[in-house]
Amino acid sequence: MSDLNNQSKAPTSRRSLLTWFTGAALAGSAAISALANFIFLKPRATYGQPSRYSIGHPDDYPSGARVSLDQRRVCVVRDGSKLAVISTICTHLGCTVGISDTGFACPCHGSRYDQDGNVVGGPAPKSLAWYQVTLAPNGELEVDTNNTVKQGTYYDL
Amino acid sequence: MSDLSVQVPEAVAPEAVETVDAKQSFAAGLAQFLPNIWHSIFRHPLPDSDLGASQTSVTNFFLHIHPVKVHKNTLRPLYTLGLGVMSFVTFVVLTVTGILLMFYYVPSTTQAYDRMLDLRGSVAFGTFLRNLHRWSAHAMVAIVFLHMARVFLTGSYKKPREFNWVIGCLLFLLTLFLSFTGYLLPWDQLAFWAITVGTSIAAYAPLIGSKIQFLLLGDKAVGQEALLRFYVLHVVVLPALVTLLIAIHFWRIRKDGGLSRPVEADLGADQKPLRVEIVSSTPAGKRTFGLMGFVRGPFTKVGNVPDNSVYAWPNLLVAELFVFVITVAALLVVSLLFNAPLEEPVNILHPPNPAKAPWYFLGLQELVSYSAFWGGVGIPGVEVALLMLTPYIDRKVSGVGKWFAKERFLANTLFITFALLNVIFIIIGTFFRGPNWTMVSPF
Repeated sequence: MSDLNNQSKAPTSRRSLLTWFTGAALAGSAAISALANFIFLKPRATYGQPSRYSIGHPDDYPSGARVSLDQRRVCVVRDGSKLAVISTICTHLGCTVGISDTGFACPCHGSRYDQDGNVVGGPAPKSLAWYQVTLAPNGELEVDTNNTVKQGTYYDL
Repeated sequence: MSDLSVQVPEAVAPEAVETVDAKQSFAAGLAQFLPNIWHSIFRHPLPDSDLGASQTSVTNFFLHIHPVKVHKNTLRPLYTLGLGVMSFVTFVVLTVTGILLMFYYVPSTTQAYDRMLDLRGSVAFGTFLRNLHRWSAHAMVAIVFLHMARVFLTGSYKKPREFNWVIGCLLFLLTLFLSFTGYLLPWDQLAFWAITVGTSIAAYAPLIGSKIQFLLLGDKAVGQEALLRFYVLHVVVLPALVTLLIAIHFWRIRKDGGLSRPVEADLGADQKPLRVEIVSSTPAGKRTFGLMGFVRGPFTKVGNVPDNSVYAWPNLLVAELFVFVITVAALLVVSLLFNAPLEEPVNILHPPNPAKAPWYFLGLQELVSYSAFWGGVGIPGVEVALLMLTPYIDRKVSGVGKWFAKERFLANTLFITFALLNVIFIIIGTFFRGPNWTMVSPF
């Protein structure tokens, strides 16, 4: 009895330390392989649409135009020499918004936006994204959907 | 050997005896050939006695899932309504039809929709199989929910069945996720936009939301990667998980003492639980134990307690067969009468107006139209957490095994309120929402 008490008070025995190490090693290996699975499942390259693409010459968009490029899910807005590209992906749940008289309207849950993409009604939590536009050396406009710009930031042609 | 030698005349040589012996035993062996095989598979014949019923149950792989005896209360149709077995039957039907459909399906954005048309046009029983798969999926969602409602309203999640309730909740969530992943596979307009909306809801989860969405879709938007991922989840990962959890669910029913039942069911009308006094040999003290406290398990009989159990063979088996036949018959009739919908092929440029999720998610979509975070993540998250933690919050043991027990008025009322609210939201989302999700009258 007294032996037993002494043992429980004694510093960690070799056996329990080894048991502890083994358990930690097994648990650690399991955790690492679970993590590896997640890394594997997260694609490094995607096969969908590129995030940078050309939308043609500035002349294709006359002043005052609001052209919805359905495939790209963006709307090109030109006002005089100013040009901007606004996303038409609803910020609510990812439906494609349509151009309406007052701006944009989403068919899925009824979100409504004004001409600049500000929310004016419905459940959308934030305004539509504005994408960065640059003029490529070949004279074509290039959109980068990875880079959003502040609302109202036009590209000066 | 000794019997044989009696019949043989003494004059015959010993070699001849052996020949006759060998011939006879060969013939006998031949006659026993098929019975030997049969009896090696089935150790016991069809039972004609209680002992036979136990032996047959225990020595058969499929039957030994059942206990040898079950409580009479388990077999009351109006107590369980057969909903658990019904859920399992729909899962079996879905597995069989799903595997058959896999022979003709290709998870490719260019081929999937054509394969749907092929199922309709050129595959024998193709339309029928797809109908059966689709309607069984809807049925499974509904029946699993009703099963959950039965367990809740009879207080059957209480000790010692707490963890089996949690597994049941996980099975319900997996059922919904299976339906959701299957929804994308036809690659029609309904599929594409329902999944676009559904995965965007996931993106509203705090911190990791958009990462979950990216992992689920394998891309920024629903496309080929998403179709392939949903396919793998739908045909391998989720069914495997469901199968594992069903096995644990069934196993635990027995380990937790069979289906729940009222306390009175185990006792005679005039009997109270037996109490014994155990006097400790050490002078430390005298404690009183409820005998039920340390004799666990459903059929341990102490004293003059009447036996309220019956043999699983044939009572339980006949009941299960009955539920199986009724369920399959209903699914067959519905699948012969109604065709599963198939809309236009995917057109990314034109979301249908309104874009609606499958009916069991329409309550959620209705909530989402008020607030994406609260409707899609906040409220469902709280609901699921409350549901799973119910047995750990509600620890009172009274009112178990009775429908709508008075002692459980509060819990039952809360559950029914939540369920009815969801049904109301589903009805609004299904019938009262028109273009741009505006209120319309269905009449």
